[in-house]
Amino acid sequence: MEIHIRNVSKHYYSGGKTIKALDNVDLTIPANQIFTLLGPSGCGKTTLLRCIVGLESPDSGEIEIGGEVVWSRDKNIFVPTENRGLGMVFQTYAIWPHMNVFDNVAYPLQTRKIARDEIRRKVDKTLRFVQLEGFEKRPATKLSGGQQQRVALARALVAEPKVILFDEPLSNLDAKLREETREELRAFLTDLQITAVYVTHDRIEALALSTIVAVMNKGRIIEKGPPRDIYFNASHRFVADFIGRTNLIEAKVTAQEGPVTTVDCALGRVACRKQAAMGPGDDVTLCLRPEFIRLKRGNATQSQNVFNGKIRSLVFIGEAYEGEITVHDAPLFIKVEPDSKIEVGDSVNFTVDPENCLLVTR
Amino acid sequence: MAHKRSVLTPTLIVIVGFLTVCPVVMLVFGSFSTGLGAFGEFTLDKYVQAYADPELTGIIANTIIFVLGSSMVATALALLLAYLNTRTDIPFKFLFRIISIIPMMIPHILFSVSWVLLLNPSNGLINLMLRQIPGFEDIAINIYSLPGMILVEGLLDLPIAYLILAPALASFDIALEESSKVCGSTTLRTLFRVTLPVLRPAILAAFILSLVRSLASFAVPSVIGMPGRIYVLATHIYQSIATGFAADFGKAAAIGMSVLATSITLIYIYRYLTSASEKYVTISSRGYRPTVIELKGAKYPLFGVVGLLSAVLIVLPVLVLFYTSLVPYSMIPSAKAFSMMSWKHWIEVINDPISLLSLKNSVFLGVVGATLGVTLSIFVAYAIVKIRSHASGILESFSFLSFSFPGIVIGVGFMWFFVRTPLYATIWALLIGYIATYLPYGVRPLTSAFIQVHSHLEESSLVCGASAFTTMRRIVIPLLIPGIVSGWILMATMFVRELTLSVVLSRPGTEVLAVQIFRFSEDGLWGQLSALGIMMIFISTALVLLATFIGIKFKPLEEGG
Repeated sequence: MEIHIRNVSKHYYSGGKTIKALDNVDLTIPANQIFTLLGPSGCGKTTLLRCIVGLESPDSGEIEIGGEVVWSRDKNIFVPTENRGLGMVFQTYAIWPHMNVFDNVAYPLQTRKIARDEIRRKVDKTLRFVQLEGFEKRPATKLSGGQQQRVALARALVAEPKVILFDEPLSNLDAKLREETREELRAFLTDLQITAVYVTHDRIEALALSTIVAVMNKGRIIEKGPPRDIYFNASHRFVADFIGRTNLIEAKVTAQEGPVTTVDCALGRVACRKQAAMGPGDDVTLCLRPEFIRLKRGNATQSQNVFNGKIRSLVFIGEAYEGEITVHDAPLFIKVEPDSKIEVGDSVNFTVDPENCLLVTR
Repeated sequence: MAHKRSVLTPTLIVIVGFLTVCPVVMLVFGSFSTGLGAFGEFTLDKYVQAYADPELTGIIANTIIFVLGSSMVATALALLLAYLNTRTDIPFKFLFRIISIIPMMIPHILFSVSWVLLLNPSNGLINLMLRQIPGFEDIAINIYSLPGMILVEGLLDLPIAYLILAPALASFDIALEESSKVCGSTTLRTLFRVTLPVLRPAILAAFILSLVRSLASFAVPSVIGMPGRIYVLATHIYQSIATGFAADFGKAAAIGMSVLATSITLIYIYRYLTSASEKYVTISSRGYRPTVIELKGAKYPLFGVVGLLSAVLIVLPVLVLFYTSLVPYSMIPSAKAFSMMSWKHWIEVINDPISLLSLKNSVFLGVVGATLGVTLSIFVAYAIVKIRSHASGILESFSFLSFSFPGIVIGVGFMWFFVRTPLYATIWALLIGYIATYLPYGVRPLTSAFIQVHSHLEESSLVCGASAFTTMRRIVIPLLIPGIVSGWILMATMFVRELTLSVVLSRPGTEVLAVQIFRFSEDGLWGQLSALGIMMIFISTALVLLATFIGIKFKPLEEGG
């Protein structure tokens, strides 16, 4: 099912100040995709999700799910949460502590007045799907965090909704379990062919899980697209910075020739991938990801996109060294292979492909 | 939904505001009036009368000694018990739970009476027994004294102080002590330099709550203090409304004003301390069990102290009362005493119409009062926890205010109010007074119950397609049941044993158990008093068991595997 969000705004009043939680959001969430809303805390992503499910009402605009308008200020439509027929996994899982696993999962079916053996059949099937068969009689609160998470998922899936919503479902798990559960979740959702809306502030989760990522900030959707596009081809400085560690360098466009836009910045003159919208004299930001800075020892002779620098610091973090080099006094964040022999104080040089030098608006 | 909510909080503010502010306002007006009949004509006479009384200085001195002394006894004992329980390898730890809960079921007046039966100078059982020992023939340990009052009141306030200190000690982050030891301190030095200072807010909070309770206490000053002519403010107020030719409610209100002001001040200090103590005592969320200190040689002597305390707190009062209810007059347990035992006092009580009426009234007040009180508490707790508006903050302050109410003072305030309404001298006057005074005991457990019902639990039910009503029935109510049950138990036991408020508001026809027992003690009818007292304990216990049973029955599922 497709979800259309049209010009939705919402304000909060807190301590005498008005906070724009959603600022004229206009968004289409395509059917049967894993759609992620990514952004820092307080950016409005959870508010948007809660507006979709009906736990909160926007101030203005319209929300349509699968062709049915579920909320509209102008048409005075409000379909209450319980009639929207969606599934949702909460950040706290919201497992009811006074019920066992079976009752927790059967609950959505019981409220729909479905026959008893039909309920049993569907719950069994769903529990098998999330690999919890045999846990029916356990008190839900006696399960581990990962198992509780799967109970919450089973409960959201059991009534076979066309849309399932996730509100930071992995944030309460520890790091290792989070990675495992992320993989499981991806497998479940790919099998199901369901529209999933997933809210997170974790960029790795967003990149790994989604078919489309929408990056939000201050109540607005800044950019959306497939994970690779967002990572390599962002057009906003905020998005480029939020989606992965990067070096952001203030620059000025000097020329536009063929497939290359040339800029001047603290590193010197840099040839970058062409951005048609930019012209000579524009103030822009050069975004240079550390994985494209491949260091060689010693100094190299000056030529296009070749830079000489000095290692300032190096920290061993297991799979790599992280550190900083200076090029003409400008600091750059870098990553070096763990078996590298480079040491602090060494002179180094590197060459970057203009294709990997991304220019974004300031 | 939004509309309904916006009406709920103001309605509750009106109800709770009426219950808590009304008696205070009436007390203020009353203190500036000449008498119950002449309300509203401003006069300062009563203040002049009350505070120019030359006896007042002595009474205030007694009050200060009594209140400070008993609070110190209570806090010190509670700290010792809490420390032994949470931090040492003392055996039979289940005793500590019993010490902290059971005394709530033994009414204060009965506890005080049992000490009178044991230690009154003429025929107290312990005195009688000691006199059998050669050389001690003339001994007369006198409970009717300030030290006697302090001891008994201290023991009565011990459970409440323990209930504050035990969780604070249990949540104490052991790393603070460990780092002190790493720095080279001994266990004892660590205790005095780290543990106790860190716990200071909790200790102060326990101490201040004991101060409030002993300032409001009426059972001990009346049963133990008055026969020894030792008056404190509570009994002084009682004297001006219950003895002499004309009850002087104006003077009572004038004195009550300063008691109430002290009490409210103390309770706000308490509130400030408990909110600050959350910052102070660090709670480790790691589910980490603190290392236990080995007591070694001191283990059994210390356990002896705990065992003795629990015997003194629980077994002794019940035993003494039961014994006294069976023997014809005070005598030490002997073959002769056992041969003379009979149910005479019990039969007298059962045939006494006033005792029967008081039984009936107290059961009614316990059951109906607690049910109404808990119902009100559910709404108040809901508004405080779930609505969280500016208005619900006011509501919280109101419902907290009655924590500080000394029963006898607030009773005088209510008297000024009820005398002007048809409720005067009816059982409903008592019921309203009870709910007003004991509202926090219902609101407290329900507030914590509502906090546990995370909003996500309700929201996920809605997402699952359940209506608001189904969500209430299947999710919210079942999760609240433990809170409702403990709120009901607390209120019902408080109401069944209520003395201080009732002693002012109870009139002929609306006698209640504690007041009837108080009358018996004034008349020295110890046998009948004991028989009625045992019935009272029995009723409290029955109510507790009943509520617990209902709670278990309606709880759909508790941990199974």
